[in-house]
Amino acid sequence: MQTFISDWWYLSIRNVKLIWRPLLALLPALFMPIFFFVVNSLSLQSFAKVPGFPDVSYKDFIAPVAIFTAIFFSAGNAGIELVQDITSGYLKKLIIMPINKLAIVLAKLTEVAVQSIIQGVIMLTLLLVWGVEIKSGLLGVLAMFAMLVVFAMAWSCISMISALRTQNARLVQSLFILVFPLLYLTTSQAPKELLPETFATLASYNPVTYIIEGIRALVLTGFGDPSIGYGFAAASGMFVVFVTLTVLSFRKALK
Amino acid sequence: MFRSGCKAPFTISFRVVILTEHMAKATKNIIEVRNLTKTYPGNVHAVSGVTFDVKEGGFFGFLGPNGAGKSTTMNMLVNLVKKTSGSVKIDGFEVTENSDEVHKRVGFAMQEVGLDEVATAREMMELHGRLYHLPPTVIQERIAYLLKLVELEKVADKFTSTYSGGMRRRFDLALSLIHQPKILFLDEPTQGLDPHARQLIWGHIRELNEQGMTIFLTTHFMEEAEALCERIAIMDRGQIVTSGSPAELMKKHAAKNLEEVFLKTTGSNLANEEVNLKATDPYARARM
Repeated sequence: MQTFISDWWYLSIRNVKLIWRPLLALLPALFMPIFFFVVNSLSLQSFAKVPGFPDVSYKDFIAPVAIFTAIFFSAGNAGIELVQDITSGYLKKLIIMPINKLAIVLAKLTEVAVQSIIQGVIMLTLLLVWGVEIKSGLLGVLAMFAMLVVFAMAWSCISMISALRTQNARLVQSLFILVFPLLYLTTSQAPKELLPETFATLASYNPVTYIIEGIRALVLTGFGDPSIGYGFAAASGMFVVFVTLTVLSFRKALK
Repeated sequence: MFRSGCKAPFTISFRVVILTEHMAKATKNIIEVRNLTKTYPGNVHAVSGVTFDVKEGGFFGFLGPNGAGKSTTMNMLVNLVKKTSGSVKIDGFEVTENSDEVHKRVGFAMQEVGLDEVATAREMMELHGRLYHLPPTVIQERIAYLLKLVELEKVADKFTSTYSGGMRRRFDLALSLIHQPKILFLDEPTQGLDPHARQLIWGHIRELNEQGMTIFLTTHFMEEAEALCERIAIMDRGQIVTSGSPAELMKKHAAKNLEEVFLKTTGSNLANEEVNLKATDPYARARM
């Protein structure tokens, strides 16, 4: 057990360094959420006056989406990095070491968790500067990050499974296109009551809806809203399913 | 290879121990391979019933044309590729049942090199030392010694992505030695290198073998095998077609040099390459 923790720790340190090497790699995942947040909060602010819209500004309504999107965009990089480790032969080097192979997967998830926190903190700081208020306070921020990190690890697993199966960076990168339907077939831009029936139905089947709603509840209403529990349930469910599939894919790849 | 001022704090004791053990165990087989077979889906036989032994402290060369099955065999010896059947024992341990014990005893410098492009040489060596669970002071001693050995101490804190092909190979060699393995596997260690870099690598490998380390080398450079190896096995189409010392092979096949032995004992390279490609490339397999 001690050697497993030690393997996990040292591999995690190696992976975490990948986040800021190069430093510029942090920017793309931040640019689009900031861009959409600024453009949408300015151009669609009158949407908040539509009957049925919650009693908040449009900027506050979409603020949680900006944080979520930053993490959504960056978590997929784990698979691309894994392809690089496979094609360069680096993963083979790790496999022929007397280490617990599960530590390789867990170290990757640790990297995703740390990256999510870094991206989330940057986005949150920008939003606070922009005037967004977090109703649930510091504890709510911690809960929000917990939910986001669990989701980010789950999403990164999808890219890692794809990396292990295809060993092709372009195919793994193409998973990016899934981000848009998963993000927009939700209540990210408007409350469910204002969505057309078909979209509302699709949103109710999309687990991302519950995570966005959970974060939104922490930002806009505070603890006590059942959406927070649903958000954690959706993120945790995805985590259990996709981490299990990643571990199975990794074991299969080792054979 | 040792230059004046090159400290080798761990190597001196290492050498004494290894040389003493080396003399005592000169007849012990450190690698024992019996009827080793690898068959890929589609009934593609990459390796078919390969049997050989390597003595402890020996320098064994595995030759063959591209696609002959050399790398597949070597990968099975370190459990990177699962064997279909047969047995592989490394220092007495069956490779599939005791892979951690085997991995503690082997170093592997691969064809792909496989460096972490956004890490420095020192960082990579520190990480590998940690993953082999070596004490921090020992790791620092070995890093200093090995970087000096492969003449990379001046670029130790630069990212490996800035290294030339020769520097990458030398660093990979140093990295594979961080845990003082008993056996060093080298897969085409001088592929793509200029003559100067090749000579440097040869010098390093020779020195390690003189210290008692068993070397298992795959190559398709006859000159390399002739210059370095005590014993050679030539592989073709997944099977060993002949083996022995370079002198024995030349005598046995009435050849002037190893290249002639090679040409007399191996068949068409292109056919082999195609079989190997189909066996290892998932896209090729899917098309079969």
